Amino acid sequence: MFHALVSIKQVPDTTNIRIDPETNNLIRQGVPTILNPYDAHAVAAAVEWKRKLGGKVTIITMGPPAAVTSLRECIEMGADRAILISARQFAGADTWATSYVLAEVINEIHSKDPVSLVFFGKQAIDGDTAQVGPGVAVRMDLPVVSYAVKIREVNLEEHYVIIERKTESRNEVIKTSLPTALTCEKDIAEIPYASLPDLVYSLRYEPEVWNAESPITFDPAQLGLKGSPTTVFKTGTPEKHSAGEVFKVTEVGLDGVVKTALDKILAVEGMASMLGVQK
Amino acid sequence: MDKNEKLVFDVIVVGAGLSGSAAAAIAARGGLKVAVIERGQNPGSKNYFGGALYTHSLMEIYPDFWDRKPPLERPVTETGFWFLSTDGLVKATVQGGKVNSNPIDAYVALRAKFDAWWAEQAQKEGAFIIPKTLVVDFIRENGKVVGVKTDRDQGDIYAPVVIITEGVNNLLTQKLGLAKHDLKGESSALAVKQLISLPAATINARFGLTDNDHGAALSVMGDVSMGLPGLGFLYTGVDCVSVGVGVTLEALREAGIKPYELLQRYMNHPMIAPLIAGGRLMEYGAHIIPEGGWSTMPQLYTDGVMVAGDAASMVNALHWEGTNMAIVAGKSAAETAIEAHQKKDFSAQSLSSYRARLDKRFIMKDLRQYRNLSHFLKTHPDFMAIYPTFLNDALGMFFTGFGKPKGQLYKDILKSLTSRRPLLKAVGDIVAFGRTIIGI
Repeated sequence: MFHALVSIKQVPDTTNIRIDPETNNLIRQGVPTILNPYDAHAVAAAVEWKRKLGGKVTIITMGPPAAVTSLRECIEMGADRAILISARQFAGADTWATSYVLAEVINEIHSKDPVSLVFFGKQAIDGDTAQVGPGVAVRMDLPVVSYAVKIREVNLEEHYVIIERKTESRNEVIKTSLPTALTCEKDIAEIPYASLPDLVYSLRYEPEVWNAESPITFDPAQLGLKGSPTTVFKTGTPEKHSAGEVFKVTEVGLDGVVKTALDKILAVEGMASMLGVQK
Repeated sequence: MDKNEKLVFDVIVVGAGLSGSAAAAIAARGGLKVAVIERGQNPGSKNYFGGALYTHSLMEIYPDFWDRKPPLERPVTETGFWFLSTDGLVKATVQGGKVNSNPIDAYVALRAKFDAWWAEQAQKEGAFIIPKTLVVDFIRENGKVVGVKTDRDQGDIYAPVVIITEGVNNLLTQKLGLAKHDLKGESSALAVKQLISLPAATINARFGLTDNDHGAALSVMGDVSMGLPGLGFLYTGVDCVSVGVGVTLEALREAGIKPYELLQRYMNHPMIAPLIAGGRLMEYGAHIIPEGGWSTMPQLYTDGVMVAGDAASMVNALHWEGTNMAIVAGKSAAETAIEAHQKKDFSAQSLSSYRARLDKRFIMKDLRQYRNLSHFLKTHPDFMAIYPTFLNDALGMFFTGFGKPKGQLYKDILKSLTSRRPLLKAVGDIVAFGRTIIGI
């Protein structure tokens, strides 16, 4: 049976986010949270293939109790089961500690109810690391296809999947064995508009809650801040680029423009020697 | 829950705004199974106002309102009119005394935050909120409304009574024939506003507020609207200022002025600009206000349906009331729905007690009294421009006429009026305005 598992994250809506110029921290107060957009498309893809092949879709997320809202959104899209992994011990986890917890959870689910595909969004829009998906895959010893844009074929009899992934220069087509992990771009599937009964069902849905002890026991040393080797030394806001100077051909002529621009470039300290030009 | 189960409720509320969530709370508290259908991502995401909320209406729905930790900004401890000329300002505001009531009568609020919370309170009473869903039509049986159709697949929801609180763009109310026409440009104001972020201490200093527990709500008249009949406003939040201006759609269209030009000019006024200088734009928005009141009010009920709030033109443009009418009307509609369930009679005849409830309250009394206001403003387009400027001149001359014979001073003051408006016409304006607000 086809069983897709999607790992999602609830994130602050970064279109609304601001950085405190004094402390360099994200101002989270009053910022609405949303289902990470790439994850939403991953869920949509999982549901799309469930509708083609039959089977089911399970959603997991590690986060605070408020993440239930995002889990309900996945149920609304057509997922069948949702699990919230939530406990104080998990707080402050970096991508290393997070992938430990998720891998343990997915292994537990897989042992009872074998998983064919493990979906992730390509990255979360708050941290932008793109590390958790591949991190989980490595811990589980699964093949991983990152930046997936299309699932061409899922063959349950012969245990393979064919996925298109995006690279900077071209798309690659990858055939790999099941189960496999993939991290999704938005192109992977359109977000469906749920039927009213599905929406109403999702609004009433109560996800299962897993904590640090039950139903599986985690190694406390690998959880949360304690289990996170990442140290943030400094964060900051990139400087804003000011608009470039404009030299108009109509005013100073083409030669004038080129000469002025060249002079400006060469006037930058070290530029002339770097370019090997005599001033 | 079985996904194939037919969705049946005791009452459907269309729109989770102030009126809808109030109706939902009262109906749920009265034991009804309530569905609220909201088109926005969350309640509040489509809602917008100046603005301030009125305590009496909030406490009428929740007597323990203050224990529920409502997300309000500042209490309104100073309020009144500001009259602008092109380069001057006369303030007529009041503070202390009756304004310093307990609790304070009005609070500045931000609707995105407040309405979300307001809907949550209705949810706590037991109402079921269905977001992201648009009601597109009604389900009728034997000519009577028995539910609504939404834009989703298998999108029908049934209830013997529907409360429409769909807001100013009252397409459903029109669809039922309760409103006979679409929004009218002459009685619909377009209000545009910016929310400007400033440190609380700066706001306190600029508006003369003692601390963050003091706030101002100001109606600004005169040179705010490029000569169009319109009103400006200023509201202080904790660390933000709402600054905006509203003008009728018709006036905007006739003058060919774009709303953002209007707002920009208002914000650049020499008396306004320093108040918001250095602030950062947090929000830019616009909303239509149904200022027609009585003259554009639809029929308020029919078989299985009641209409409340902006959808029913429940706005008193002069007193900036609307939110309180919406809330009280929502409550009245819910009480009527509870009664109808007790009687098991959802006919127009049975629901007519909704209208009777509103008749007893300030809502119908005031709207009726101010029924000619939008006509007055239409027929006296420069009323809002002439007198504030004159007031600036008159007071300005009175307080600077040093070393001048005072007889001459008074003649000059009178001249500054008559040069703008002949004396008889000015007297006529005042009388007409008086008659308008007295309601004769």
